[in-house]
Amino acid sequence: MDSARTEYSNGIPARSVPKSRQDSTKAPELQAVEGRNWLLHRHYSRKEFGICKILVQEELERTRGKHEYANYIQGLILRHEGKIQESLECFQICHSLNQRNVDNIKQVARSLFLLGLHNVALEAYLEAQQVSKTPDWDIFHNLGECWLRLGEHGKAKEALRQAVQLGRHERSYIALANMYKMEGEMQAAIDIYKAAVELFFLRASPDSAQLATSLGLLYLQEGKYQHALEKLGGALARDPQCAQALLAAGAMMQNHSDYDVALSKYKIAAQSWPESPALWNNVGMCFYGKKKFVASLSCLKRAHYLSPLDWDILFNLGLVHMATQQYASAFHFLSAAINLKPAHAGTFLLLAITLRHLEDPDNATEAFKQASFLAPLDVSVPLNFAVFLESQGDLEGASLQLVRFQDLAQVTPQISSELLQTSSQLSKSLNSRLLSDTSSKASATGTDANDKSHIEVEAQVRVRNHPIDSSPESEPRNNLADDEV
Amino acid sequence: MMSSPRNLEYEQLWLNAHTDTRAAVYTFSSCITLADLNADGDFKLVVADLGTGSTNVKLKVYKGTSLHSETALLDVPTGVTSFYMDLNEPRMPAIAVASGSNIYIYKNMRPYFKFSLPSMDINPLEKDLWMQVRDEQIEHGVFIELLNNLRAEIGFSQMSTQSQHLLTLDSSNTSSFVQQNCKFPVKRQTVVTCMTTLKKALAEETAVSCLVVGTESSEILVLDPEAFTILEKIKLSDEDSTTLAVPAVLSACGLHAVEFRIVAACRDGSLRLARRGWTETKTLVQLPAQPVAMTISPDNASITIALMNQTLQCYSKKGKLQWMINLPAAACALCPVPLPHQSATLVAVSLNGGLLQLYNGRQLVDVIKAPQSVSGLVFGRFGQEENALIMFTVDGSLLVKILKRTAHFNLNGGGNTASVAPGAAQQIKLQIPKKTRLFLDQTMRERDNCVMMHRTFQRDLFQLRVDVARACVKALQSCNNPVSLEGAEPLKLSAQVLGLGPLFKMVISLQNISASSMIQGLGILFHFDDKMYSMDKPFINVPLLVPGLEYPFETMIRNISELALSDQVRVLVVKDGQSQPVLAAIINMPVCDLLGMV
Repeated sequence: MDSARTEYSNGIPARSVPKSRQDSTKAPELQAVEGRNWLLHRHYSRKEFGICKILVQEELERTRGKHEYANYIQGLILRHEGKIQESLECFQICHSLNQRNVDNIKQVARSLFLLGLHNVALEAYLEAQQVSKTPDWDIFHNLGECWLRLGEHGKAKEALRQAVQLGRHERSYIALANMYKMEGEMQAAIDIYKAAVELFFLRASPDSAQLATSLGLLYLQEGKYQHALEKLGGALARDPQCAQALLAAGAMMQNHSDYDVALSKYKIAAQSWPESPALWNNVGMCFYGKKKFVASLSCLKRAHYLSPLDWDILFNLGLVHMATQQYASAFHFLSAAINLKPAHAGTFLLLAITLRHLEDPDNATEAFKQASFLAPLDVSVPLNFAVFLESQGDLEGASLQLVRFQDLAQVTPQISSELLQTSSQLSKSLNSRLLSDTSSKASATGTDANDKSHIEVEAQVRVRNHPIDSSPESEPRNNLADDEV
Repeated sequence: MMSSPRNLEYEQLWLNAHTDTRAAVYTFSSCITLADLNADGDFKLVVADLGTGSTNVKLKVYKGTSLHSETALLDVPTGVTSFYMDLNEPRMPAIAVASGSNIYIYKNMRPYFKFSLPSMDINPLEKDLWMQVRDEQIEHGVFIELLNNLRAEIGFSQMSTQSQHLLTLDSSNTSSFVQQNCKFPVKRQTVVTCMTTLKKALAEETAVSCLVVGTESSEILVLDPEAFTILEKIKLSDEDSTTLAVPAVLSACGLHAVEFRIVAACRDGSLRLARRGWTETKTLVQLPAQPVAMTISPDNASITIALMNQTLQCYSKKGKLQWMINLPAAACALCPVPLPHQSATLVAVSLNGGLLQLYNGRQLVDVIKAPQSVSGLVFGRFGQEENALIMFTVDGSLLVKILKRTAHFNLNGGGNTASVAPGAAQQIKLQIPKKTRLFLDQTMRERDNCVMMHRTFQRDLFQLRVDVARACVKALQSCNNPVSLEGAEPLKLSAQVLGLGPLFKMVISLQNISASSMIQGLGILFHFDDKMYSMDKPFINVPLLVPGLEYPFETMIRNISELALSDQVRVLVVKDGQSQPVLAAIINMPVCDLLGMV
């Protein structure tokens, strides 16, 4: 097959020359250069790159490299194969052959962009914009992307806004919304997503579930749970397998202690997203909520295996180990979490309680101090500290902390009844102990109350911390980047 | 994706009528047509074989399962279509074969007419140049130079065919080429990229049709079937547009005399519409990927299009996306499957890998497996059979399947695919690793002894840290580290022992890692047990060390011990007049090969 082809491709088609010699009155039949463009395109669009490359080679040999479309297709195939530099060369040949075709400039710019030469790509896109007589959303979109990567957010926003107006293309909406998110303008990002969802959701376009999920997650960040649930539900109606929406919806259920519903969501998500640390973390905390500690540990350890440097998971591991009274293990996980995120008061509080159980009062005191330094307005820290000091016999210190707790409790709006109950118990026992220091009976009842209070206070810490909303968001961002390439 | 019993059920709708694995036909859907060539009710299969892609190009006619006739074609065919060009009885359709710049019309399988696409405008300067060279007013060299200048100005694709060919030739062949060609008028002709038909005035099956042709110069031409005049000339791109919208696939519906719609999917990714009376097309939508194949529904003019990004999309006649589905593999071809008895038109999509899926709207109703990817397929009347599916695979086999007369597609079962998924999800179990008895025992042990464990661990950890710190200090004090950064001699040492024994070669490389200063007056001293080893050069004088370069020093060392034991050798780098070594390293010698000692 190949040999037959090369015999044909030596310059002019073989039959035209002899014909014209025989009959000089008849014009020689010259084959048009573009004669087989359709064939190239057909094989390319069917992803039959092997045969396409052979055809491109033939055309290039026939025209000694002056075939614009063959070069163009070759560039596209090379880019598809990841040979960006070579594809750039092909598109540059195309551009030199036909300088009036905007497509050629756009492809040159795209290759430059993929090579990370955003500066040069920007110049190329600007050139394309000049050559193109009609405004093109694609150029604006890419200009926006270039400016974004060059750090010129103002210009990037402007270009993306124009792209959105011109093209109404999902990619531009997502890029623009991400931009606003990056700058912390949540409301603007929400508005953009809202517009995009309205535009695309009814049309069942490919990423509509994705768009609705992104909007839902934004609402979640803003604390608008009702809106978030609505959008996530919409996304799931469109695509019941959408792992991202499942995870976010599950986390919301979990926040409302609806563990079985959350677990059923996670089960589906685990099918398509079996290696998500956030998913396994949440599953683990669901089991924790259901008091199935062994299953919880299994899941959390898997999450930890998948993402060893995630402090949330380490924190949760510490918490579950505390619940199973494995304080030695809990200590390791908590200290690892602190190494990764030293500015989180909750971890220090848990560490302090762990150290108390490990009978290391000096370090426990230090940890309590650090926790109250990091979160001076957290009511649970002084209360736990007071309980600890009381058990150590430092009654004055304990009552000092208790006063701090009571001061804070007055300014904190929604305080759990368990905390108040514990504090009243503690103050009672403190009073009795201050009155009769020698009474061994009183101190015995006091410790009883303390033990109970610890468990309760720890439980209060857990609810605040376990669901990771940030991880399910950060991962989709990576996915988007992949799609783009 | 589908369970195997379901597949079996699918297969039963079709009968395998004919399989010819050695047909060796290289073709596409656009080059296959079914026609009642002899007006005897026996429909033939007409297919243009692209041969090798350039030679051995043939127009083949299959009657039933056998090859009926073959006609050689001059050039690679772009499209083949059958149409009725007049009202003569008996009603025999003509075959139009588009290739290059021409459309060849065959009647009764004999060449009947050749239509050439109209010549396009040529740059007046270029025309002038060719005139001048014909009249020998300018020399060849100057002529070619001027043409090259022109090319830079107007672009290669805007030049005449002659000039394009001339500019691609070697300089040795140009003069003969110019001589041959200068006598003839310069021509610039475009080529056909796709072709379809459009009924002229009546919608009947045997009514007269016009040919609709898409060209590389981004135009759509509608040709009169009798006189072959151009009835309509529709521009695809605007006059001032800088990109060419070259049509890749064309579809038409309606009647030319009344109202018609021609939809073109272009190579720049746009979907464009032309209607009666329009001289320019309107862009319906910008597709997200390159178009592969397209069909337009005759009922509501909705457009079903397969794209390169593995999706099948449907657009309304106004260009609104109705639905889209992801295909399991890249699409190769597509053809409509009209089923009048079920009053539905399915769409058959052939996928890379050999799967053929039939869709009713967005719902998958049937799957057919072919041994190879199907490159071209067509559904229609073949022989006496109403519903035949003709498939040509990429390796050239011909497969004919017949839809059973009793076949009934389950067109209403669309709901259950969606409802099955959550039900199945309920049965999914989370894969949680089970914990062993041992794990639980250890948990219990930790629970009971956590304070002790913690203390032991902390003590051991401190012990370890102390040991590490001590060893570190010791190494620093005895200069027993291979990199010396202190003092005036920043050096790096690495050692290598080669060989199996008892004779080894030891290679010591030294590198001066200071920025600019030279080091001199060094020596390498080996310290070893003389009962175990003997060495050629126990002391090596080191020359001046230039920064950055690595200096290798070699010496032979022999194991002289009777026993097959190995020992350590210490390498010391010393400096004149200095009692402490600059740096030192310990080399653990390998155990030598016992056989070698005998």
